[in-house]
Formats: sequence, structure tokens, C-alpha cells
Amino acid sequence: MLVLTRRAEEKIKIGENTVVSILEVDGGTVKIGIDAPKEVTILRMEVVEQIQKQNIESSKRDVATINSAAELLKKRFSGE
Amino acid sequence: MKIDTRKFGTIEIDSNKILTMPECLPGFPGFTRFALLEDPKSAPFCWFQSTEDPSLALVIMSPFLFKPDYRFNLDNVINARNWSGVKEENLIIYVVVNISEREEKKNSITANLLGPLVINSENNEAVQVVLSDTNYSHQHNVLDGA
Repeated sequence: MLVLTRRAEEKIKIGENTVVSILEVDGGTVKIGIDAPKEVTILRMEVVEQIQKQNIESSKRDVATINSAAELLKKRFSGE
Repeated sequence: MKIDTRKFGTIEIDSNKILTMPECLPGFPGFTRFALLEDPKSAPFCWFQSTEDPSLALVIMSPFLFKPDYRFNLDNVINARNWSGVKEENLIIYVVVNISEREEKKNSITANLLGPLVINSENNEAVQVVLSDTNYSHQHNVLDGA
């Protein structure tokens, strides 16, 4: 991994079209601005990890568990 | 065509109904072909089954059954995937469901509203969108709205 030290108001250019700006540094928090083409997806890593984890957990469920949960849900939907 | 599944054995699938996921599923890199399996016993849940890995099958359902006002920006999805011209009614939305193991006795059912699956039924492509700037939960309690 490339590691650079930057101060507030300094910037980093990545490729032709992306600029990362350090807007503000306050204690343990860094405010970052990103200028990138709109087709570039920018995501908080923890959100991506949550989605990966939910996918992996979902694939572990067996048919019996799902069918019994489906029964429960159908009862709720029908107002029983 | 025949596909192997761990949960249902070998089953016959209409090859016109195979869905491709050019960007794969987060957590499962390398798998791009899936089929939607429906079984009356597991409805309203259905299975998003990989045709390449028999053991890969996610549980999904329509979010609108328990959250009728579920909304996110579909234009971003359409632009990012180059689906311009697609009719919105042909974009079918599912969310990934989990039954919490720890709380199984309480039958806790959650849905990931942060990562909806969008299926374009015009070209049979699918994408799992990662929503940012939203208050939706990745563990929304399905029974709350039911």
C-alpha cells in the first residue's frame, strides 16, 4: 500500500480524473472530499462489508429453516 | 438446462431464465450466473441460486411485502449498468433475507435493505446495489412490518 502524509487542505490526484482532498482534520476524524467521474462507485467500506456478510450468512440457511420462517411470515401476513 | 444445487439436487432450468451478474455478488467473487428458484413451501421467500456453485444460494424476497414504501434511486442503477431505455416496471427488486441463527427460536427474520438486488427482466442482468446516504438497515426486522 502506498502511504502518503497530507495536511488539511492538501490533495492527492489519482489517475486522470480523481482528486482526493483532505478538508479537515479534527482529533481522530478526517473529513475527505472526493472528485471522481460519476461512474466510479465510492462507498464506505463498512457498508460493503455488511452487505458481504449478509450475503454469506443468507447462503448458509437450510431449506427447513427457511420453510418454517416462511410459515411464520405467511401467518403474520394473513393476520393470524 | 440442468443445474446442480445442494439444496434441491439436480433441477431443470429454462436457459432463457438464467440471470447474469457482471459485477458478481458481494462476498462471492467469480460467480456470474444465477437462477431464481421459487417453491410454494418457501414463499414468500425464493432462492437466488448460482448455476456455477451448487452450494451458493441466497434467500431473497420482495421488500414491498413488508415495506411498501421502500424506495431508492433507480436512475443511478440504470446509468451505472447502461440500462438506458429500460422500463421501470421491468426492474424487479428483491432483498437478501437472513434468519438469525442465534435467535432462531424467536424466528428473527431480517432483510438487508442496504443492498437490494435489481433484476432487469428485459436483458436478464442482475446487480446488487450498495446504497449510501440512506437510513435503511442491513438488518431490517421483517416481522415488524408484517
